[in-house]
Amino acid sequence: MNGALTVFVAALLTAVATGLGALPFSFTRAVRPEAVAWANALASGLMLGASFGLVAAGSEIGTAATLAGAGLGVVFILVMDRWLRHYDVPFGRARGAGARRMLLMVAVMTAHSFSEGVAVGVSFGGGASLATAITLAIAVHNVPEGLAISAVLRPQGVTVLGCMLWSVVSSLPQPVMALPAFLFVEAFRPVLPWGLGFAAGAMVFMVLVELLPEAYGQTQPRVVALLVSLSLVGMVLLQQHL
Amino acid sequence: MNPLLTALALTALAAGASALAALPFAVRDPLPVRWLGWANALAGGLMLGLAYALLLSGLRGPQAPLAAAALIGILFVGLTDRVSGSATDSGEPGAAYRELLGSSLHAAHEGVAIGAALAADWRFGAFTALAIAVHNVPESAELVAGLHARGARLAVAAGLAVVADANQVLFAVVTLALTTAWPALQPWAAGFAVGALTHLVLVELLPASYREAGRTSIALVTIAAMGAVTLLRNLVP
Repeated sequence: MNGALTVFVAALLTAVATGLGALPFSFTRAVRPEAVAWANALASGLMLGASFGLVAAGSEIGTAATLAGAGLGVVFILVMDRWLRHYDVPFGRARGAGARRMLLMVAVMTAHSFSEGVAVGVSFGGGASLATAITLAIAVHNVPEGLAISAVLRPQGVTVLGCMLWSVVSSLPQPVMALPAFLFVEAFRPVLPWGLGFAAGAMVFMVLVELLPEAYGQTQPRVVALLVSLSLVGMVLLQQHL
Repeated sequence: MNPLLTALALTALAAGASALAALPFAVRDPLPVRWLGWANALAGGLMLGLAYALLLSGLRGPQAPLAAAALIGILFVGLTDRVSGSATDSGEPGAAYRELLGSSLHAAHEGVAIGAALAADWRFGAFTALAIAVHNVPESAELVAGLHARGARLAVAAGLAVVADANQVLFAVVTLALTTAWPALQPWAAGFAVGALTHLVLVELLPASYREAGRTSIALVTIAAMGAVTLLRNLVP
């Protein structure tokens, strides 16, 4: 298979893997306020753990660029949040705060997929074994990200199929970005820490400004804290073994 | 300088910094609740940044004990939170004593963090002690406010804040001594500190700060403090 096509197919498979994260919600439809809080706490821990990994990866190339990217990620969420509040954009049948949270979640995870796509593309320039390792790592890493997205969407009434599709959509920037990153690897490498930082900043801020306050408001802070801490540690360990 | 004496001096400095928490009361007394929320968020962000730095350092070693110790740290903070009571109980009689006990228990994890960082590298340890010293000021503001509101003079409240954080000295020195004598304990100490610091922020500091100052400003202060620790840590060789 042609090299560029291989990169595109590999990155597309990593995107499809994101949809697997919705599967656990086939067995439960978390609608009780406590269950929504648990889902938000789970998503928070997974996103914080993923962000730790992104900052660590970005800092290996350039700490200042990674943190500057994180600052841009925070600004992105602030601007988007204000825009969504101003226009009251619906999401499916949901409106208001629920719709805003879902849109922010999908937007944040989609934005963060751009840098992962660049990582896949750049890794193909570093040899077959590195490319296989990075592609597999990002594919497996995408599953809990799909879980995090579904944890926010499913309690708002989105179907399991809908959760799977939105999860896959959030990862579509991966094949889109992997191809140019592979073809113009040297041009993309300096941008990578900015992208990784942007993704981390947007995710951490989303957790701090939306998911955690919601979760604390719906159930006991002790339960929320325990779920966030455990899923954070789990996500960090998962990334270490990929 | 002897490593244990270095640990003693650094942590004494960190614990002593807690007294500075009384200074803002010279400007505004009582302190606006929003300020206390920002102080909690600042302390929480610094702790999360330190937990991340310790985690990165610990991941260079064996990961199984690091993960197991992180879980122990999480459970330990969960248990101590139940014993000392959370900030949601602050209106009850005796809450000030529980706050004092809670602060004293927090200081234990922070002492372990300094000791674990010193065991990894003395420059990292000094950085951690300095970050904990800075973090002690906003963290102690809540305690000083609680004691002062119950009639304690500012000087007494500041002194009690230092006493509550004196555990940092004890636990840092003991952690450093143990991990130097048995290096296999290093990932256990680092993992415990990571789990405890992270869980403490999530179970106490963030819920309290959201109640006191709303979500957007708290999110901004927390993430800015995390970023500052990450940036400064990278400047330390």
